[in-house]
Amino acid sequence: MQNRPAIVAVGRTKFGEHYGKEPEKLIEEAWLAASNEYNIERKDLEACYMSDCFLPITNKLGLEEGFLSELTELHVPMEVTRSFSAALMTACHAIQAGVYNTVLVGGIEKMTDRWDKIRDDLMLLDDPWSYYAGGTPESNHELMLRAYIKKHNITGENLDKLNMALAEITVKNHANATKNKYAQFQRKITIDQVLSARKTAHKPLGLYDFAPISDGASALILTSDSVAKKMTKQPVSVLGIGSATDYLNYPKREDLSHFVAAEFAMKTASQMSKVTPSDLQVIEVYDQSTVMEMVSLEDLGFCEPGTAWKSIHGCQNCYDIGGKQLYVNTDGGLKADGNPLGATGGAQIYEIYRQLHGEAGERQVNIGGGSPHNGCVLEFEGFGTKAYVTILGVQKDE
Amino acid sequence: MSSEPIERRVSYLGDRLKASRCQSCGKEYFEVRDYCNNCGRKSYGKMDSIDLFYDKGKLELCTFVNEPTNKFMKLSSYVYGIVSFHDGKIRVPARLTDQLICDGDDVDLASLEGREVIPRFRRRYTVGKNDVVPTISLAFTLADEYYPHQEYTVVQPNKESELPGIVGYGAYASRFRIKEGSLERAVPFIDEDAVTASVEAGKLALIHSGLDSSWVGKVYVGSESNPYAVKPIASKVAQVLKLGEEDGDVQGVDAVDTEFACKAATSMFKDAASLVSYSRSGIKYAMVIGADNSQAAPRGCAGGELDTYVGFGGAAFIFGKHDVIAEVEGWYSCTSDTPDFWRRDGEQYPMHGGRFTGDPAYFKHMRKAACKLMERSNLKAADLNYFVPHQPNPQFPVRIAKELGFKDEQYLPALQINKFGNTYSGCSLVGLAAVLDIAKPDERILVVSYGSGAGSDAYLLRTTSQLLDKRKRQKINVKFQAENPFIEYVDYTTYRRLKLGM
Repeated sequence: MQNRPAIVAVGRTKFGEHYGKEPEKLIEEAWLAASNEYNIERKDLEACYMSDCFLPITNKLGLEEGFLSELTELHVPMEVTRSFSAALMTACHAIQAGVYNTVLVGGIEKMTDRWDKIRDDLMLLDDPWSYYAGGTPESNHELMLRAYIKKHNITGENLDKLNMALAEITVKNHANATKNKYAQFQRKITIDQVLSARKTAHKPLGLYDFAPISDGASALILTSDSVAKKMTKQPVSVLGIGSATDYLNYPKREDLSHFVAAEFAMKTASQMSKVTPSDLQVIEVYDQSTVMEMVSLEDLGFCEPGTAWKSIHGCQNCYDIGGKQLYVNTDGGLKADGNPLGATGGAQIYEIYRQLHGEAGERQVNIGGGSPHNGCVLEFEGFGTKAYVTILGVQKDE
Repeated sequence: MSSEPIERRVSYLGDRLKASRCQSCGKEYFEVRDYCNNCGRKSYGKMDSIDLFYDKGKLELCTFVNEPTNKFMKLSSYVYGIVSFHDGKIRVPARLTDQLICDGDDVDLASLEGREVIPRFRRRYTVGKNDVVPTISLAFTLADEYYPHQEYTVVQPNKESELPGIVGYGAYASRFRIKEGSLERAVPFIDEDAVTASVEAGKLALIHSGLDSSWVGKVYVGSESNPYAVKPIASKVAQVLKLGEEDGDVQGVDAVDTEFACKAATSMFKDAASLVSYSRSGIKYAMVIGADNSQAAPRGCAGGELDTYVGFGGAAFIFGKHDVIAEVEGWYSCTSDTPDFWRRDGEQYPMHGGRFTGDPAYFKHMRKAACKLMERSNLKAADLNYFVPHQPNPQFPVRIAKELGFKDEQYLPALQINKFGNTYSGCSLVGLAAVLDIAKPDERILVVSYGSGAGSDAYLLRTTSQLLDKRKRQKINVKFQAENPFIEYVDYTTYRRLKLGM
């Protein structure tokens, strides 16, 4: 690939409640963390791509580009998208086109500043008509689970196993988060806690099945392979990136039991990168709920439709995909690492970057005695309305 | 502050559940569309407008919501899911309504999935006091419970009568009741109000009459609990029920709200009857609706005595000259400026004149109107089959009926106060509906309403043989709703909360 984009530095803040911090402090922190990695100066940046899902709603900031310009004292082109992966994809296209050599990709969200109205906002962003009918940010996940169970005719003992598998997802993610100093939740939870929360809610999913609302920021520096090689020995290349879109109104979608957009995005990213699910053993999926994590394993092609729960059930820190280990959400996922919408994708990329570099500390995954060569990130906007799949790989000599 | 344009667009589509169907491939869309995605350019302009307002759907999937978003907070918990129409060609988000869920353990989601449901026109969610009241029909009730599905079939009118009269009617009361002693009163669900009750009554009347809604040229809505001080209920009724010729997004119908305490609707019977009799009006049918979420201050507060009797519901009557079920033979109205019951602008609850609501108010006007009309028609109490008095409490109507010389069997069928409570503007109308539900052809009915302020309207009606033909079309009649096995009784606190609404 000509001008293949490569990541040379990543940075992030802790996710969680940043009660006392202005949004600009968070993005500054993430950008400084990334720039410190390879001593990049702000004047090196030729453009900025920033993502925030609804910062103008939560924080009434005005045009985000202007706020970023003030912060960096730069007058370079800047664009804002709603998810980190969207910003990254746009940046990748610019690098590939040869327009820029070095750009900043950042993401931020400050959701807890609007904690009292955030669920209404989230639901209106997900799907206004479902909101008008009384839907909540959680209800579509629960309906998808019902649709999944019905479509694949999962009953009796198998249904119990599926429900248990979903609980195990959360327990695994919380356990992973205890090894991630940036994660929002730093405590392990038990299967019983997950199950009793469901019982309290009188629903198939409970408190522990859903990601929280969070504040946080993330950033990375993107260049092309050729530039990256001068800066670092081990850049992480963006081997493939794909996106796809689905109907806003969830009930209108043809298949309610999974996310077709994720399937399409994976196809594109896989074709571009020549990396297939069998080449991947470390992935980050967008687990706004445990159902999303389960279903995504199928949509990304790791499991056959209707079977992911079998691969999940009984596993500890990694899933068993046909005898092969698959490490999912080693940073704790959205559930435990946190989910500040615009910054979430950045944290997912951050994790894969660290894993490929062998810098993930206690979380480090070893494949065949070394750090993995490839990794994959799935990010959604809305309730599967947009899906982005990014496949990353450590630089090899060509 | 809500956005008026957004509100208009959402309720324009959502109140009626407007949809489109491609003429060539049959694909359906829950929206108004000019073309079909399957058929592309060639389908442009070849999309049929359909709507799901009179349809029934199937609850495909559901879940339990006990932590709603802010605007649904007052519902506290409910079942939410996806409803499909036409074998899954259209799927919409859905909230089950008319369900008071006290304990989430009682909700069996799996047993709800697959059940047939009916779209109901309701308030959408809570908004600020100064905002446009949002509505939607994405609220559903189970078809095998209180409110079964009824086909709406248009029947071409046949016989023209000499006199104008009632050609169809419908009475509506909510599923919930409060029972104190022998008195049962209808309680609205939290998403119901005078607007939703008016639409429900009008919908039932259209089903009963078999009229094409576009033939209705005028609609009057009488109520004293309109959620707006200024903005008619009638405009909502006209839009949702598609009264009059539809031209773009405007209905070719005259719609107006009337107000005269409890006689706001009965007063318009004569106007409707006259209008359809005046050939140059061009109006063949006129609809009169009386509905109220009857207001009363809580017990112990000034005006709180009313709280013992207030109900919820209403009825709609369609007047015309074709296929008449009850001819209007005569009327008499009287008025005096007697302030026995009033509500000042901006006040939430009405006040009343205590002991002076009786003799110098209710009885004086009821007596005058009834006697004058009987005298003019040369009829005595014994010549009439039914007497339908206004019924603000269980005692007054019995006393006036006896005083006028009516026997139990003449007035008891009309007494619905014990079943639904005082439905204010809907009160005499529900009584009349109950009588029409059981009357035989060629019977005479005297209706005398009363409105505080004060005045009475008396009407002399004579039933025709058409009455029996049309009766078959209405399953949801007064008795059906009064003795429905799915009625749910609530305690006083719940009743006050539900009545306050969203």
